[in-house]
Amino acid sequence: MHPKLVEFLAGCRDEAPLQLGVLPFGMICGIASLAAGMPAWLAQLASAIVFSGAAQLVIVQMLAVGSGAAPIGLTAGLLGVRHVLYSVSLADYVRHLPRRWRLLLAYLLTDEAYAIAILRYQAQTAAVHQSVPGTPPGNTAPGATGDAEGSPVRDLRHWYFFGCGLTLWLTWQVSTAIGIVFGATIPADWDIDFAVPLTFIALLTLLIRERANQAAAAVAALGALLLAALPYNLGLVGAIILGLMAGALSTRLARRTRLAREASQ
Amino acid sequence: MSTVSLLLLLVGVGAVTFLYRYSMIGLFASRKLPDSVRALCRHIAPASFAALCASALFIQHGEVTLGFDSPRTWAALIAALVAWHTRNVIATIITGMLALTLLKLIL
Repeated sequence: MHPKLVEFLAGCRDEAPLQLGVLPFGMICGIASLAAGMPAWLAQLASAIVFSGAAQLVIVQMLAVGSGAAPIGLTAGLLGVRHVLYSVSLADYVRHLPRRWRLLLAYLLTDEAYAIAILRYQAQTAAVHQSVPGTPPGNTAPGATGDAEGSPVRDLRHWYFFGCGLTLWLTWQVSTAIGIVFGATIPADWDIDFAVPLTFIALLTLLIRERANQAAAAVAALGALLLAALPYNLGLVGAIILGLMAGALSTRLARRTRLAREASQ
Repeated sequence: MSTVSLLLLLVGVGAVTFLYRYSMIGLFASRKLPDSVRALCRHIAPASFAALCASALFIQHGEVTLGFDSPRTWAALIAALVAWHTRNVIATIITGMLALTLLKLIL
């Protein structure tokens, strides 16, 4: 099999389990859109244009209570700011790709695709550094591995990312359609919406194996509750920023402790 | 809201969401990130998902409801334990849903 296809299919495979949470999320979006008075074709189109569950849910929730376009746009817009952070953290890995690839991957950059793709990027960067000990740092810089002549590893991880993103995109479109068509037949007391926080829990535990990331997560979670009263979902963004600062602080403290211990020996 | 203004709203939110996603991997792609920013990047995913978890579980209609009498809180806790030990997404979601169903029957 072609190496590109291997990477692509690996991305699809690793993203697949998450679809158990994405499916009800998309269905809820479809159901809620109809309930808020959106025509079916527009509800389906929204999943392709916006392609963000959180933003779409906020839009239909606010539509349902009769909010105007300006507050809806502002709230949904601020809710998406975290994607800038995802974009920052992926920047080094995709810098070498042609623009059409970056446009495509940007469109597919969702919470769940990001979480899986970043695990792959970070894991393999570590592996590349370990396997070629004598190589100057420039050759093993993330993203540059595929372009350098005679480099040890050809970087095809964007195909992995594409596999993650496309899998999620397809589930999202299909699940919205299922919600639109069959939504009315699903009993309201079935807790299918609970699968959404469960997906986030599963992803979170994959991401907090390091002490500094645990600190970042704990502070961000606490921050989200303390800042919940802020309007337009500003609290979520504020909480994430607080978490980043806690992670940086934890890293710095750990380094200082280690240096102090080494100095005392 | 009319269908046309609704469509415009969706296109607007979609455009903004895309610009966020494209911002650093497209618009400012030629700039190298400073080391301090790159160090912070390591924590973006855990911080984001922790904040999303906390709001999905404990915030309803903009208000914090810790709900220790709610079956959802305990089902989420059970799911988190399973997630931590198995690192398996499907096991986590299925256990969480089953736990919620059982807890609702008991409580």
